[in-house]
Amino acid sequence: MPEYLETTVDKFTFKVATDRFYTHEGVWVLPDADRVRVGLSDFLQQRSGDIAFAEVKPAGTEVAIGDEVAAIETIKVNVALGSPVNGTVIEVNPDMEIRPEAINQDPYGAGWLAVIEATDWETDRAQLLDPQAYFVVMKAEAEEEAKKL
Amino acid sequence: MTDRKRIAIVPCSGIGKTYGTVSREAAYEVTEDTRPAETQLVPLSLLVLGDEEARAAVADSLAVTIDGCKLACATKMVKESGGTVAQDFAVLDVYRRYKQFKPQGIAELNEGGQNLARALADEIAAVVDDLGTKHSDDARGSVEVQDA
Repeated sequence: MPEYLETTVDKFTFKVATDRFYTHEGVWVLPDADRVRVGLSDFLQQRSGDIAFAEVKPAGTEVAIGDEVAAIETIKVNVALGSPVNGTVIEVNPDMEIRPEAINQDPYGAGWLAVIEATDWETDRAQLLDPQAYFVVMKAEAEEEAKKL
Repeated sequence: MTDRKRIAIVPCSGIGKTYGTVSREAAYEVTEDTRPAETQLVPLSLLVLGDEEARAAVADSLAVTIDGCKLACATKMVKESGGTVAQDFAVLDVYRRYKQFKPQGIAELNEGGQNLARALADEIAAVVDDLGTKHSDDARGSVEVQDA
């Protein structure tokens, strides 16, 4: 079980798992050697809303950083999620076909999207945020969103 | 006016939300067009306000609720009002079954939203028919009514 950084903004509480890296957009990256598991941060899933559908690029798809690796449709928005690394999709969470709400229910666990075999993880990692840095970015975005309410 | 013998249809009251609009359009179709004799619309807002007639309508008959989001206000309010939810629908779940009908719009639904509302209305009508059959059988003492 990962540990979390946590903040409450307005009536919403957001968690950031401390065992992984993040993109500025809120895609988390959990490395295991050269393979990385990816998913949505708690903040990104809450801000996006209840997920209706999640379409993940199939295994075998080559992706460069920023290429769409998944698209989610929620009750509020359609979100294209860019790949956080260069590499090849090697596994897709089968739950995304039948119960994409797992992203809302367990964003850091059962709601993972895909596993990507990174071609140069060490280089790509340098472009990602550590949990503390993402926490600062996320909190600022959450506070900005709260002002609109 | 309410009729305690008719099944209460309680849709989401979310104003300014697409899924709320879908829930209400489906409720209107069932209560006004396809099953007007068997159902009655009970506005969620009246339940929230504690309107006695609305509370009586759900307390004394079965209810079908339609929730626009996971807060499930319609279902919760019917239960808090002493009613029995025979079937609860979530618009998001219905949309997952009809991916081709992507709802958009608020005051006026797009074609996808209108189609989704009709599909939802059809599912509600089927539940209403099923409940009616069970009630008839129950009245004859041949079948026990079960929680949906």
